[in-house]
Amino acid sequence: MPLVRKPSPQTPAAAAPPALGEGTREQRWAAVRAAAERPDGLALLADALSRESDPRVREAIFTGLARLATPESAAVVVPYLRSDDANLRTGAVDALRAMPQACRAHLPALLTDGDADVRLLSCELARGLPDEEANRLLCDLLERETERNVCAAAIEVLAEIGRPEAVPSLLRCGARFAGDPFIAFSLRVATERIAAPARDWR
Amino acid sequence: MAEASSKRILIIDDASLVRRYYRDALERAGFEVDEALNGVEALEKLLGEPADLLIVDVNMPQMDGFTFLRSLRQQAPPIASIPALVISTEAGPHDRRAARSAGANFYLVKPVAQDVLVQHVSIMCGLPA
Repeated sequence: MPLVRKPSPQTPAAAAPPALGEGTREQRWAAVRAAAERPDGLALLADALSRESDPRVREAIFTGLARLATPESAAVVVPYLRSDDANLRTGAVDALRAMPQACRAHLPALLTDGDADVRLLSCELARGLPDEEANRLLCDLLERETERNVCAAAIEVLAEIGRPEAVPSLLRCGARFAGDPFIAFSLRVATERIAAPARDWR
Repeated sequence: MAEASSKRILIIDDASLVRRYYRDALERAGFEVDEALNGVEALEKLLGEPADLLIVDVNMPQMDGFTFLRSLRQQAPPIASIPALVISTEAGPHDRRAARSAGANFYLVKPVAQDVLVQHVSIMCGLPA
C-alpha cells in the first residue's frame, strides 16, 4: 500500500499571528505584545504605531519599541515628538527616556531641530545622558536658543544636573532674556543649586 | 467674602522650577498649595483631598494634561467639577481646542508672570482679582 501522507490539519484561526491593525483593542494589544518578541518586530511596531489610535495599544507599542532600545527603534519614535496629539508626544518622550543610550545619537540633532517644541521636549531627554555630555549639549543650546520656553526647559534640567562650568552659559542666557521673570527666577534657583556644596558629580 | 487662605490649589507640572515659581506666587497671595508631577499622581492626590482649582501642564510623563482632564471629568462629584487652568508652552490653536474639549476652563501660554497667575487663579476661585 502506497504511503499516503495524511492531510495536515487546518491551523486553527486562533493560532495564527494576529494582525496588528485589526480586531478589538484587546486583540491589537495582544498582537503588539507578540510582535515585540519577533525578529521583524521593529517594522511591525513602526507600522502599527502609524495607524493606531487607542492610547492603551499605543502605550504597548511605545513600550515594545523602548524594550528594543536600539538607535533604529529610537528613530521610529522621534517623529512623534512633533505630533499635535499630546498623548502621542507623551508616549514618545516616555519611550525615548526609557532608552537613553539608544536616544543618545539622536539628541544633538533634536536639540538643534527647527521645531521649538521638539527642542523643548528634547531638553528633558538630555537628562538621561552622562552629566558632562548633558551639560555640554544644554550649554550649547543655551548659547544660541531664541525661544524662552526652550531655554526654560534647559535650565530646568541644569538645575538638577548642572556643573559649575554651566554657570556662564546660564548667565549669558539670563542676560538675553533680561526682564523675563520666570527665566530670572529659574536662573536664580539653578545657580544656587549648582553652587551648593557637597554635590556629588557623576 | 471668601479668602485665598481657604482655597487649595493643586499644581500639576513635571517641571520642578515651574512648580516652585507658581507656589512662590500663590503662597505669597495666601493660597494653600500642593503639587503633583503628572496626571496619575494628581488623581491619587485628589481622591484623598479635593482641591479648589487645578493648574495643569500639558506635556507630562505617564499621563499628559489632556488625558488627565478627561479622567478628572469622569470622576464622581465634587472632583469632576474642579475648575482647571491649563498653562502650557503649546500656543497653537490645536492644543487650545484639545484643552477645551478635554475639560479645561481656561488656557494660558507659558511663560506666565506671577501677578497674572495670581489674578487668574483668584478670579477662577471666585475671589476679587
